[in-house]
Amino acid sequence: MRTFDFIEVLQQLLTAAKWTVALSCVALIGGGLLALVLTAAITGPFRPLYWMGRAGIQFIQGTPLLMQLFLFYFGLPLFLGVNISAWAVACITLIIFTSSYLAEIWSSSIRAIPAAQWEAASSLGLCHLQQLRYVIVPQAVKIAIPPSVGFSAQVIKGTSLTSIIGFLELTRIGQAINNVTFKPFIVYSMVAGIYFLLCYPISFYSRKMERKLHAAG
Amino acid sequence: MPLVKIANLYKNFGDTQVLRDISLDVHRGEIVSIIGRSGAGKSTFLRCINGLEPIQSGRIMVDGVDVGAADTDLRRLRQRVGFVFQSYNLFPHLSVLDNITLALRIVHGMDSSRSAGIAADVLRKVGMEDKKAAFPDQLSGGQQQRVAIARSLAMNPQLMLFDEITSALDPELIKEVLSVLENLAQGGMTMILVTHEIGFARKVSDRVVFMHHGMIWESGAPEEFFHNPKTEELATFLQSVI
Repeated sequence: MRTFDFIEVLQQLLTAAKWTVALSCVALIGGGLLALVLTAAITGPFRPLYWMGRAGIQFIQGTPLLMQLFLFYFGLPLFLGVNISAWAVACITLIIFTSSYLAEIWSSSIRAIPAAQWEAASSLGLCHLQQLRYVIVPQAVKIAIPPSVGFSAQVIKGTSLTSIIGFLELTRIGQAINNVTFKPFIVYSMVAGIYFLLCYPISFYSRKMERKLHAAG
Repeated sequence: MPLVKIANLYKNFGDTQVLRDISLDVHRGEIVSIIGRSGAGKSTFLRCINGLEPIQSGRIMVDGVDVGAADTDLRRLRQRVGFVFQSYNLFPHLSVLDNITLALRIVHGMDSSRSAGIAADVLRKVGMEDKKAAFPDQLSGGQQQRVAIARSLAMNPQLMLFDEITSALDPELIKEVLSVLENLAQGGMTMILVTHEIGFARKVSDRVVFMHHGMIWESGAPEEFFHNPKTEELATFLQSVI
């Protein structure tokens, strides 16, 4: 057993937290881009795309993130025949996970805009895409921003599950440190503290925006 | 040839028939008011004319364009037909100026100075030239409705459709909107209006149409129509509203 050096442990945890942040950024950027495609599919007029998009979203929202990680971790080598790193699996899984929730938030925001706005725009001769681009989306974005930002805190916390497939992020490194120092309560308190410092500003900002947009009506 | 020619129009919502065998011609410069009880099909009828509602059978021709035909470009049609809604439906994220110039810029491809010039013209017509920079939620209902009328006018329509445009307004605001309509009428605009303002319909219309149970029950020139209703239903309706 090694002696517990607080500064050294903190340094190692902070280094590991960089991977948590990196994975969160990949999930949010990649997931955001994929969510744009999904949102277009499930709000567009083409029915087959709608059903495919809905089915995918239902599957992701109806299964635990942990199971999705297992399915990709064990399934991708099986179907692709190549070994793929924990980092790649973590990225793919979290991108898909994030996109399904963001697409749900964004499509609901679009549906929240009254049908009368579509009608007014079409009565002026705008085509479907122009109605979306100039009339519907600018209003929907205002509604979508607070829950989207709030959801990104969920993504950061969700990355901790990738420790199970062996990705060396904050939680995994915390476990490793505990294995050599045998101070679980202190180590996991520090880990939780770091997650809190990452997530709190985001949820604070989300609540603040919600109030602001609410006041603006 | 009439500007609007509607023949044997039928329309269902699911199993419910809301419009039955409606035929109506409207000539250029003519002003037709449609009155009747709630649920008589007045608004639905008006919405069919610019293709906001699909129809089951019959024919709607506007300026030679078959509205119900599958290959009709509704966008082109709507650039010639203005529609003003009961609830104004201004775009809340855009200023008054941008509400009016949006379609001019992106549908007609005008540059911003030319579209702003047109916006200034139509805002003057509705007496709102000093509110260009305001946003819809800073305006009263009557002002919003006047901007909505200006927004339609900016597209230089051949025909204007007004769907109960004063019904959501406080009584003291109704007058300012009706006087805008009167000016338009004097300017020779072809208009079809669904309205509960019986006195106004009587004053400006060339023809009044009474809708009942999804049909055109009775129609005629205002004097004869109001003084001498031919059907029991119209007589009862007029008694209940006047």
